[in-house]
Amino acid sequence: MAPTFAPVRDAPERAAAGDGRFALDRALLGGLADLALDGARRGGATYADIRLGETLQQYAQAKDDRLEHFDERSSRGFGLRVLLGGSWGFYGSRRLDAASVREGVERALENARAMRPIQPRPIELEQLPAYEAEWIMPIGVDPFAVSSREKSDLLLSICATARDNGADFCSASLSIAREERLFANSLGARIHQTRTRVYPSFTATAIDRDAGRMASRESLIPGRGAGWDYITGAGLLAEAARAGTEARAKLAAKPVVAGDYDLVIDPTNLWLTIHETVGHSTELDRVLGWEANFAGTSFIKPAMLDHLRFGSELMTIFADRSQPGALATIGYDDDGAPAGSAEFKIVDKGVLKNFQMALGQAHYIGLSASNGCAYADSPTSFPIQRMPNISLAPNPKKCSLEELVSGIDKGVYVVGAGSWSIDQQRDNFQFGGQLFFEIKNAQLGEMLRDVAYQSRTIPFWNSLDGLGDANTYQLDGTFTCGKAEPVQLAPVSHGSPPARFRKVRVLDTSSGA
Amino acid sequence: MFLASDDAKSIAEKIIARSGADACVVKIDGGEDNSLRFARGGATTNVTTSGASLRISSHIGGRIGSATSDSFDDAALDAARARSEEIARMLPVDPEYVAPLGPQAYDASARYDEDASSFRLDALAAKAALAIEAAAAKGVDAFGCAGSARRFSALATSNGLFAYERSSELDLSTTARNKADAWSGWAGAHEFFAARLDAESIARRACAKAAHDQEPVDLEPGDYTVVLEPVAVTELASWVMSAMDARAADEGRSFYSHPGGGTVISEKLFDEKLTIRVDPADPLAPEGGIGWEGVPHRARAFIDKGVVNAFYRSRSWAQKTDAEAIPFARNFIVEGGDASLDDMIRSVKRGVLVTRIWYENMVERKSLLLTGLTRDGNFLIENGRVTAPARNMRFNQRLGELFGNIAALGKTVRTWRAAGSGGAAAAPPMLAERFHFSSKSSGI
Repeated sequence: MAPTFAPVRDAPERAAAGDGRFALDRALLGGLADLALDGARRGGATYADIRLGETLQQYAQAKDDRLEHFDERSSRGFGLRVLLGGSWGFYGSRRLDAASVREGVERALENARAMRPIQPRPIELEQLPAYEAEWIMPIGVDPFAVSSREKSDLLLSICATARDNGADFCSASLSIAREERLFANSLGARIHQTRTRVYPSFTATAIDRDAGRMASRESLIPGRGAGWDYITGAGLLAEAARAGTEARAKLAAKPVVAGDYDLVIDPTNLWLTIHETVGHSTELDRVLGWEANFAGTSFIKPAMLDHLRFGSELMTIFADRSQPGALATIGYDDDGAPAGSAEFKIVDKGVLKNFQMALGQAHYIGLSASNGCAYADSPTSFPIQRMPNISLAPNPKKCSLEELVSGIDKGVYVVGAGSWSIDQQRDNFQFGGQLFFEIKNAQLGEMLRDVAYQSRTIPFWNSLDGLGDANTYQLDGTFTCGKAEPVQLAPVSHGSPPARFRKVRVLDTSSGA
Repeated sequence: MFLASDDAKSIAEKIIARSGADACVVKIDGGEDNSLRFARGGATTNVTTSGASLRISSHIGGRIGSATSDSFDDAALDAARARSEEIARMLPVDPEYVAPLGPQAYDASARYDEDASSFRLDALAAKAALAIEAAAAKGVDAFGCAGSARRFSALATSNGLFAYERSSELDLSTTARNKADAWSGWAGAHEFFAARLDAESIARRACAKAAHDQEPVDLEPGDYTVVLEPVAVTELASWVMSAMDARAADEGRSFYSHPGGGTVISEKLFDEKLTIRVDPADPLAPEGGIGWEGVPHRARAFIDKGVVNAFYRSRSWAQKTDAEAIPFARNFIVEGGDASLDDMIRSVKRGVLVTRIWYENMVERKSLLLTGLTRDGNFLIENGRVTAPARNMRFNQRLGELFGNIAALGKTVRTWRAAGSGGAAAAPPMLAERFHFSSKSSGI
């Protein structure tokens, strides 16, 4: 007999309940999961898993004195993945009802059968332990319980503050998301999880009309897995005042002279360099060629594990899903692997030690199991390998930003992420920034403009010769790392201290670079 | 979940009738997408997704609040409507508020084909099989993606507008790599009509580009004559188009802003060979009829023989500046010329044939200085012949200079976009001088 289902609670009701707990109807979701997994088993699937739930999002945007948008979106659904005859089949629906799930079972099985003509080698899976668990991202004040007026007032205040301090224009936005998921699989796993994230962002722009020039300064405050208290405690108005002043100052800054410089890279910039050069190059699906048609492959080959001298002895890159406030922090990944399996070093004292893996990948390099790096950006998306938090470990010896600068005769201090680009194998990169300061004779000096640094991954990381200690370490990150076809967007954080790199090529972008 | 026009209209009317706002806009989008990926000749991931969403924007006292729901039962839609009204009432008054549009006349756009809309994964797998078989025959490996989409979009306002469009899409892209994993080639296509997707041609072209065993040559950075294949031209032209925002230009924040103030309009900024236009009725790359905010897309050249002819402009900025509202166009056509790709290659003494480009990002917005890299099929041209694969390079190129000095254009063809993006573009191959490669890349 088919189960009966009560309605899912509506978004405003859940927002009113507050505190980020799992608030969807567990009996409903559990019943739908059982219906799907039973159907898949009866249809011959040797393995099946399903993600069900909702993503609740708010996005507000202001420009100057105008609130341009305030949107709230509730997106519900499920995604059923079956392994039938050695082929995956997947079906996702943005509906949460029994009829849609029954259709989903048929279509997922149909899709698996459709793959047979192009499946010369069956998909092989390791058997992960099945967990019954619940995990809730700790947050303070539920951001969905805060009024739209308070949020819009904050954005307009940011714009006004930046403009009062030198900017001609300012646009500001606020992104808030909460994912509530039930993961269940045919091995018996049942995992309820809730994660919440917030990201305030703005850009202050100053114009020199006579010269026909403009300069922008983006906010340096990152997104976090956190609540509204992070927003109110982030110092956004002070940051907006600095940004307005610095956008204006950038117009009068000294142009950089292209050449080789020693760089001190601030965590607000280095996170993106870590993300692009280390995070993506060590994804096993890319190494195996599975992303060759779009996101790209990697300069790293499986045989380089434990051998590749990725960087200097100071370079230790670690993965985790446990840093408080980090965007990829969670209890279990989207294959049902626990966070503990994602605690590993990718690079240890400069040597490549691990790849990031999702379900069904480890055996390609002779390993036994996934290390917990799967994510699906929606219940209706196929889970793929995505980054956990990936960070540069701080120097165990005491070292401050000032000490890094003091070791440089001719250099540049780079702050904030700017224009970025890297080749599809993650070798040649070019990154800009938000602020640049001359380093001359061991002292921070004048502001510079039109700077981008260009290098190649291995020489760059091997030029690392100075690293801040734990007191200088901070988290940054992104809401929207893109990968796969169809493109999926993943949130991820990267922590680092400031770091010093020797003789890196710096471009003068005003000359065409 | 695919709604017919009458069904979408009925839902929208019900919501508008229940609205407690001064005015109301309802947008409903949905459909079904299918895609599969393959690597080294075998299937990896696949997905079918089905669904629809309904966005209600409530206008109350010059304020707009919006809420979106994926559920279409009465309770969910009432909750979303109430939530949008609650949000609107809490917001500050918008100083640039514009009321919803009334009835509009939209140009017809041929973007729907029953055959294409019925593609499921078995049919896509058959297309992928052609690429896999071609790669095996050529001694290379095949990686790729095949996709289909069946979409609808409806827009209704309390001021009497109702508009509905549907589209079908197919795409196939293939990257072929030699067995040494040391060289690659790519080809792809995107079509609204099933009969126009030539999977065999895609497979053949990708494999031919990849089937090189010789070590790629390392070129020194510098200025090169380049022959850009159509998909590379599309990518580069999309940056020129996306910068054509009237407000940014008027405010002095754009490549199209004059030093000292004022917007560049009716002035020649590019080579007279450059025309970029949008046309819902052009079957080569038709834009949809319904634009952003419901403003109709009309046939127009944004750049006409090198002259800046139009900007896209939001309704609020149009009202403020007393100018025409023009929606942003995702679909565009770069007009071509008489030269063939072979003609262009024959005319080059020493240069580079670029198949496609990757990871572009704007370095300097005011000068349209763009960076990015070549990818999947870069070749050295010497004395009118393609002589060797050439390792990829990073470019830093001002687009005003690139499109300001076009040596020749070939025939315009439809270029690849991912199915489900709704985008269609067409561009010709282009011969250009002094394309600036800034550094070497080991990426293939």
